[in-house]
Amino acid sequence: MKTKPHFAFLDEGSKKEIRRTILKAVAIPGYQVPFASREMPIARGWGTGGLQITLSLIGKEDVLKVIDQGADESVNAVSIKKLVQSTTGVEITEQTADASLIQSRHRIPEVPLTYKQILVLQVPMPEPLRVYEAKEYKTKMLHAEQEYSGAWLMLFEQIMKYGKTSTDADHPVYVNDRYVMAPSPIPRFDNPKMNQSEALILLGAGREKKIYAIPPFTDVTSLAFEDYPFAKEDFTNKHCYLCGADDVFLDELIDEHSGETIYQCNDTSYCMERLNSNQKEEVGSVDA
Amino acid sequence: MQIDYVHDLQEVYRKILHSMSRPGTISTLKIDSEQQDHHLPCNHATFLTMLALLDAEVSFHVVSEEHHNLANQLAEYTLARHASIDEADYVLVLRGTKESEIADAIKKCKIGTLLDPQTSATWILENNSMITNEKKFILTGPGVQHEVNLHLDWNKHLLQERNERVKEYPLGIDLVFTDDYSHIACIPRTTTVVMEGM
Repeated sequence: MKTKPHFAFLDEGSKKEIRRTILKAVAIPGYQVPFASREMPIARGWGTGGLQITLSLIGKEDVLKVIDQGADESVNAVSIKKLVQSTTGVEITEQTADASLIQSRHRIPEVPLTYKQILVLQVPMPEPLRVYEAKEYKTKMLHAEQEYSGAWLMLFEQIMKYGKTSTDADHPVYVNDRYVMAPSPIPRFDNPKMNQSEALILLGAGREKKIYAIPPFTDVTSLAFEDYPFAKEDFTNKHCYLCGADDVFLDELIDEHSGETIYQCNDTSYCMERLNSNQKEEVGSVDA
Repeated sequence: MQIDYVHDLQEVYRKILHSMSRPGTISTLKIDSEQQDHHLPCNHATFLTMLALLDAEVSFHVVSEEHHNLANQLAEYTLARHASIDEADYVLVLRGTKESEIADAIKKCKIGTLLDPQTSATWILENNSMITNEKKFILTGPGVQHEVNLHLDWNKHLLQERNERVKEYPLGIDLVFTDDYSHIACIPRTTTVVMEGM
């Protein structure tokens, strides 16, 4: 016998608890609010935190977009979309501008987010201080006392070792001049998009049982030193070989035929949108 | 017609979230007037907010000695536990409550700890008149692009009491104001509130 799942999979009690947690997270930007992470039908570490936030927020009128490392069609994104769609019946889209709710793993879309949108980011490791402090109780104390020497020291050591900060993704940020926060493993390219964002950004870590948030129009600064300023990934003189975009985050690929290095938009829907807008319609509608 | 606990409350919650993440933004909880059959001495927006947020895992306190019956009824509706002001997770202030009672409760309520600032009280307060964006209080801070005006019944004294409790950020209280026109507006602890002309 196959039973019909409850709307948005989670029971109402679970949703309420997650909803209350989200409100606290919004009221204390960058602070990791603990919550009772539920068992989900996907494995922990595969986006259960983001998924629980999405399921607690979603309503019948929502339009959902799910991306995984910039791609709408990768396994993780498709599985999450299928689960949410089958339990809610909401409309799914690939167009960033059309979505009211965007769940993402490791990217913030290239199309600027708007006032009416909510971005939900999946987070594997929410604690930016975990690298040098293993105990949760101690990291909580460090946050309480705003004692972030360790985070600075970590960057300083990278500069000593490599001549620059070597955080490829998940470069720590200061939120509202109070909490140091892990922005989830988004590339440094996306860090500035969090600053004064028009959309509400919610971050969920299911395995670590934490939810945190960045309300719209909140100051988010990437940690950096005066003499070693924060730098995004550099794509100077590089552009997408498909659509020609040069102001976006690019993936580096090797052309199988020529063996040359080529670049492609990481945000697949953005690339597709640009290609479609440049392409002439092969079969257009015929005016009567 | 009864309130749909799944879809109506989801809609209500999204409005609360929208207003909480954008302090001073007024949202309207559009639930049919036919559904306003709870016969409780609170307005509909307050009732819906309580329904959306409360359950057996949290406690609440009603700031007014005259409303013991409401506390019992709310406990029955939501399964939340009625608690003293220094323990309550949610604090409810009905319209017409004396200013001295509110001020006293603000002094006594939970504001969290530096280790766990989330263990603070969230206030749901009924405004006597309609909440508008006319000038009275000027709000700035996270969620506000430049500044936003909000007109509430609160006076200088209550504002000072609130500001006193939120000055040691991240400790503090978060406020949800409601009115008889099903409007809500929020002032989280991060918001700097000043009264016009002060």
